[in-house]
Amino acid sequence: MQGFFFSADPLDLTHLRGTVEDATCGGYVSFEGWVRDHNDGRSVARLEYEAFELLAVKEGQRIISEAIERFGVTRARCVHRVGLLELGHVAVWVGVSAPHRGEAFAACRYIIDEVKHRVPIWKKEYYVDGDSGWVNCERCAAAALDSTAQTSHHHDHSHDHNHNHGHADDHHHGHTTPMTVARHPHGVRSPDYSRQQILTEVGAHGQARIRGARVLVVGAGGLGVPVLSYLAGAGVGTLGVMDGDTLDASNLHRQTLYALDDVGQSKALLAAQKLRALNPEVDVRPYVERATDTNLTAIAAGYDVIVDCTDNFAARFAINDTAVRLAKPAVLASVYQYEGQLQVVRAGDPCLRCLWPDGTRDGIVGNCAEAGVLGPIPGVLGSLQALEVLKVILGMASPAQGAVVLLDLRTLESRRLGARRADDCPAHCQAPAEHTAVDLTVSVTLPTREWTVIDVREPHEVAIDPLPGLSRPIPLGQLLDNPEQLPTGHRYLCVCAKGQRSLAAAKALQRVGREAASLSGGYTA
Amino acid sequence: MTALRVQYYAILREQAGMSREVVESAAGNAAELYDELRARHGFTLARSQLRVAIDGEFADWSAPLTSNSEIVFIPPVAGG
Repeated sequence: MQGFFFSADPLDLTHLRGTVEDATCGGYVSFEGWVRDHNDGRSVARLEYEAFELLAVKEGQRIISEAIERFGVTRARCVHRVGLLELGHVAVWVGVSAPHRGEAFAACRYIIDEVKHRVPIWKKEYYVDGDSGWVNCERCAAAALDSTAQTSHHHDHSHDHNHNHGHADDHHHGHTTPMTVARHPHGVRSPDYSRQQILTEVGAHGQARIRGARVLVVGAGGLGVPVLSYLAGAGVGTLGVMDGDTLDASNLHRQTLYALDDVGQSKALLAAQKLRALNPEVDVRPYVERATDTNLTAIAAGYDVIVDCTDNFAARFAINDTAVRLAKPAVLASVYQYEGQLQVVRAGDPCLRCLWPDGTRDGIVGNCAEAGVLGPIPGVLGSLQALEVLKVILGMASPAQGAVVLLDLRTLESRRLGARRADDCPAHCQAPAEHTAVDLTVSVTLPTREWTVIDVREPHEVAIDPLPGLSRPIPLGQLLDNPEQLPTGHRYLCVCAKGQRSLAAAKALQRVGREAASLSGGYTA
Repeated sequence: MTALRVQYYAILREQAGMSREVVESAAGNAAELYDELRARHGFTLARSQLRVAIDGEFADWSAPLTSNSEIVFIPPVAGG
């Protein structure tokens, strides 16, 4: 039996040894870390361990898998205690079995070193004199301050420091020998997180949480770029980047991760490449596809937080519904010209669909292409999303939970509107999400004899760029007010700039029994 | 007639040509107020496309308005 586990009860070493026994193995190596009676000159009476178990178990499992793959051992297992421990108790146990002793020793050493370094576990020491303190966070804050004072060789220094720190902190693991390793075991230089680790809310345990976190960012555009950049910079362990679009020159004024030479390439792949350069420690996983209910459910299952950085309602609702269904936190934002909306949805919070139960709102107001936007506007909202994701990871409260925060960046006013969970919310009721059935791909040189073309754009858009051929202009708002104004007996093709408002119009017409379709991708496609 | 503080967002702000105004209205609830303002400003959005918040909380369209209430009309936005 392989894997990484926590135990609130004292460890049964005989039983644990049995779990890695294997007839094909000729060698078994185990490690026990014990609670010892002193640290830094102070007498320790007992210890308390606390873990962020959700992330810790996943990171622990990753370490076990790495050890098996890297050293070719047969079985590997690690169990760490949580709760109160007395002197002499076993705090952590690692067991490895392999055909030969060499790989078993190496894998065992690798596992305990990596667990100490990477898994978010922290420790409170109770001293004989009655005092107590969380050791890791205090030490790392001091270490961080120390490392900021030395700017030369800061990569190696900070990492070296962290590594030694992990071992210096290892006082209860009586069997380990402090070692001086100038480089990460993977040979990768790590960035310096000291500036954020100084913060009380971060510290060593917060940094471990950030490192253990897996965040899926849907949309690598105006909102997604700051989210991805800040989260990669912060050291989020796994970053998923989902975007089916290629970079357009018109994106560059607000999507500052990219360069002119990148135009035409996949945004997800570009972002992955640039984020890896920013922070090689981050495992960046690109998904070159548009978000749908189906692919989101499969992909989001492997992440802890989902961030909506898309530019259309269909994707926003798909993200919201998936997050609610999987009980994962979602951080949603969107912009319109000089304004933005921000909403954090955690388990039990009102979600996007509690506010907008009807998911067919696509295009009732324009996206960035239709409405225009100044580059810093999504930059500000995306930065706020990155901040909210870090708050979720660090367990910090946020006023963006249970509310929508509206920002008017022209006047720099913000407003928090409290929301309530809707009793009949389709997302919370697990109702199947609405599917698009009316998107139609047809040529713009359409056979107008067969279709009555309804141009649902606003009058000023129609004036600038009228549709070729015969069409009837009815702005979307007017059409939704009274879809029955259009007589039956016709086939209606709704058209707008990007295909989102027209989709809403076609759905509204279908609901009142009209035959209707939407020009997929819009007139400009 | 009651004095109400009204705030507009997104396309409503654009169409009203202002972010906020104080409105003297006899509207009994948020729905009546929106219909009144829609006629005045030519808003293209139907009520069903909006949410209303009264004094910092999302509210039902049937919610009554009291003197000096602050009413915010919010269309959903999706740019990114």
